Amino acid sequence: MTGRVQLAVIGAGPAGMAAAVEAANCGASVVLIDEQPAPGGQIYRAITSAARPGKAILGDDYENGAKLTDTLAASTVDHWTATTVWQVTPEREIYMTRDGASHRITADAIVIANGATERPMPFPGWTLPGVMTAGAGQILLKTAGLVPQAGLVLAGSGPLLFLIAAQYLRAGGAIEALVETTPRSNYRTALRHLPGALRTPGYLRKGLGLLAELRKHKVRHVKTATRLQAVGDGRLQALRFSRAGRQHEIACTTLMLHIGVVPNVQITRALNLPHDWDALQRCWRPRRDADGATELDGIFLAGDGAGIGGAVVAELEGRIAGLASARALGTLETGKAEARLAAERSRLAQEMAPRPFLDALYAPSPEFLAPPDDTIVCRCEEVTAGQIRSYVGLGCIGPNQTKSFGRSGMGPCQGRLCGLTVSEIIASETARPMAEVGYYRIRPPIKPVTLGELAALHDDQAAAADRSLENAS
Amino acid sequence: MAVALGLQQLGRQVTVFDEGDRAFRASRGNFGLVWVQGKGAKLTDYARWTRQSADLWPAFAEELREAAGVDVELTQPGGIDIFLSDDEAEAGVKRLQGLSAALDGDYPFEYLGHNALKRLVPEIGPDVVGATYSPMDGHLNPLYMLRALYAAFRRAGGQIDSGGTVQQIEPLGTGFRLQAGGNMIHADKVVLCAGLGNARLAPMVGLDAPVEPLRGQVMVCERIRPFLKFPSVQVRQVGEGAVQIGDSHEDVGFDDASTPRVISQIAHRAVRIYPLLEHVRMVRSWGSLRVMSPDGHPIYDRSVQCPGASLVTCHSGVTLAAAHAKILARWIAEDQQPEFVESFSAKRFDVRQVA
Repeated sequence: MTGRVQLAVIGAGPAGMAAAVEAANCGASVVLIDEQPAPGGQIYRAITSAARPGKAILGDDYENGAKLTDTLAASTVDHWTATTVWQVTPEREIYMTRDGASHRITADAIVIANGATERPMPFPGWTLPGVMTAGAGQILLKTAGLVPQAGLVLAGSGPLLFLIAAQYLRAGGAIEALVETTPRSNYRTALRHLPGALRTPGYLRKGLGLLAELRKHKVRHVKTATRLQAVGDGRLQALRFSRAGRQHEIACTTLMLHIGVVPNVQITRALNLPHDWDALQRCWRPRRDADGATELDGIFLAGDGAGIGGAVVAELEGRIAGLASARALGTLETGKAEARLAAERSRLAQEMAPRPFLDALYAPSPEFLAPPDDTIVCRCEEVTAGQIRSYVGLGCIGPNQTKSFGRSGMGPCQGRLCGLTVSEIIASETARPMAEVGYYRIRPPIKPVTLGELAALHDDQAAAADRSLENAS
Repeated sequence: MAVALGLQQLGRQVTVFDEGDRAFRASRGNFGLVWVQGKGAKLTDYARWTRQSADLWPAFAEELREAAGVDVELTQPGGIDIFLSDDEAEAGVKRLQGLSAALDGDYPFEYLGHNALKRLVPEIGPDVVGATYSPMDGHLNPLYMLRALYAAFRRAGGQIDSGGTVQQIEPLGTGFRLQAGGNMIHADKVVLCAGLGNARLAPMVGLDAPVEPLRGQVMVCERIRPFLKFPSVQVRQVGEGAVQIGDSHEDVGFDDASTPRVISQIAHRAVRIYPLLEHVRMVRSWGSLRVMSPDGHPIYDRSVQCPGASLVTCHSGVTLAAAHAKILARWIAEDQQPEFVESFSAKRFDVRQVA
C-alpha cells in the first residue's frame, strides 16, 4: 500500500475519531490509522466489542465513546486498524506496519492524535513482577473483564486512580488498600483554583462520587503516603511506605500504579517539533496554535498527545484540527470554517476550566520525579537513578549525553518510560530548569520494525549506500 | 577526550570545554570499529599510523579498565569486508594489494571466496561473492569507550566544563583567553579537538581546519543469539548480542536526521549479506555527522603563529584513540615529534592548491 491521501489521522481515540469524521464530512478523503483492532483509543478501548463489561461497571463517560464510534462508522473515513506507525517525516510521509508488511503513504495533511501515556512512577522495587500500571490493569478489565479477587493494592494519585478503583469494585473485585501519594501541600495550592473549577462542576461531582463509592465498599484508603517501596523475593509480596513518620507494610500480590498521564510525544519529538515544558502538568507539550497547527506545514495536533485535557477536551480539539485541516485542504470555505471553529473553541474553554485545579491537586510527588539512587529508571537497559546521577558527576548536562554514557533510553521503548525521569534527575542535580535540560532526541523507528520489512521498502533508484573503506570508522 | 586523558596523564592540568546536550557529536554516532584494512590507500603514513594505533589498543583498553573501571569490550579477531559483486571484490582486493606493496608486504590479509567465507561465517547469504579478511581489525563498544575516557580523565584530576560553546579564543603574549558561555578563562596551551567546530576555531590561533560534515546513518537491531564473531564495515554484532548496521555517506550539510530511504537501503544490503536478519527488528536508527577533511585523513598541527595552540581532528576517532592518548598527547605536551605526524599537517592542502 503506497499512495497519496488528503488527510491522514494518526490515532483513533476521541481526538482522532472526531478529527477524521469532521474532515470527512467536509468532503476530504481521510485515512484513520490506529494500532488497535477497533476504534476507541485507550479511553474507549473495546467500546465496540461485544465481550466488554457493561455500562454498570465502566460508567456513563465510557459509553460516550459509542456516539463517536457510531459517527465514525457512518462516515466515509477509511479506517486502518491494527496498523502501527513507525515513522512520520516532515514531508508528511507516513511509514507503517500492517499484517507484517511495511507501507508508505504521503498525505497532504496529517493530524497527530496519538494520545497520552501513563507517567512513569519509579520507586525502589517498581520493576518486580506483580507491579503494573493501573492503565494496564484497566485494559485487562475493559477487554477481558479480568479482575483480581484478592491481594490487590492501588497506589499513586489522580482521578484515574479512583475511577479504576471504582470500576474494579463494581466488577466484583476486592481491593486491599488504596495508597494515595498526593502530597498534603497540593491541597493548599489547588484551593486557589477551586473557583475556576466550579465553572464546570461536573468533573468535581464525579470525583466526589467515586470517593463515596470507595467508602461504601469500606476500602482502606491511606493518604499522603511517602517513601514507597515494593518488596518481594523475585515477585511482589508487599508494599512498604511511610506515613506521618511511621513505617507501614501491606501484603499484596498485585500492585497497580498511577500518577497521571502525560502527552505521548514520540512522534512529535521524532519530527523535531519544538516542545514547551509545562511546569504545572510537569510534562512536555509540542507547540501548536489554537487550531492545532504546528510549525510544520500541514501537520496538526489534537488531544492528550498535545497536552492533557481528558476525553471531552480531546474530542473538541479533534473537531478543531479536523476543521482546520479541511480548511487547509480547501474542502471547507474559510468563512464557514471560522464560524464553526469559534463555536468549538468556546466549548473547549468551558471544558478546560477545571484543569488548573486538577493539575495542582494531582501534581506528582517529587519522590517519583527524581527517585532514590537504587531505583531502576530505564527498564529496557536497567539503568538506575544513582547511575544517572554518576553520569552527571562525569560531566553529562543533558539526557542525550546520558544515553551515550549508560544506554538509558536506547532500548525498544525509545525512552517512553524513562525520558521524563532522566531529565528531572539531571535538572535537580544540576539545579537547572527542565526547559534548559531538554529531552531525548527521539530517533526512528517509533516502534520496532523488522529488517525484512525495511528492505522491502528500499528503492533502487535512490543513491545506493556508498561503501567506501577509506571512511570506515 | 583521548588527547585530554593523555595530557592529564602526563601531569598537565587539563580542562575540557564541552558543548550542550544536542551538539553535533560524531563520537555518539560511531560504529565502534578498530579498523585497519583498506585505510591509507592514498597516504601510506595513514595506513602506518592506523595500524600503530590498533596495535596500541589492547594495552590501552587494559589501562582504561584499571583507570576507569570500565571494560570497553575490545576484541580484535580480524575483520571481514564483504562483497556482493565481482566488481566490488576486484576493487577491494586491488586496494589491499596496493597497500601491501606500499608497506613492503607487511600487511596481512587474504581473499576468501564464497565457500571459504561460509566456513568462517556460515550465516552468509547466496548473494555474497566473497570477502577480504584481515587479522589486524577488531571492534569495541564505542559508548563504553566514551564513558571510560571521561571517567579515567576525571579520576586523573581532569576538569570538564559543560558551560557552553567556546565562542572566542584570543592569543595573549603568553597563553590564551577563551570565552565560553558567559565565562572568560585563561590557559597556557590550547588544543582544538572540536570536530566540525574546529573549522571556526582554528583561524583564531593561526591554524586551518578545512573540515566538512558527511552524514552517516546507522541502525541497531534487537539482541539475538551470537552468530557473528567477525566485524565488518557493514554489520557487526556487539557484546550483548545487538546487531549494528551501517553505513551511508551523504553530503547533506549540518543535518543529522535519519531518513527512511537510506535506512531501507542499508537494511536491504544487510539482509542480502546475512539473510537471518530478515526477521530481526530494528530498534533504533540515527544519523551522525562525520568530520571529514578534504582527503578524509586526520589533521594534526601546531601553530607557528601562536605557539602553544595545536589542532587535532580526524574521522576514525575510535581506531585512533589509543595513538591520540599515547603518542599525540606527548607531541602536544613535550614537543616530541612522533613518526608520521608531519604527513598530517593541513599544509598538505595548501600544496595541492598551488600545484
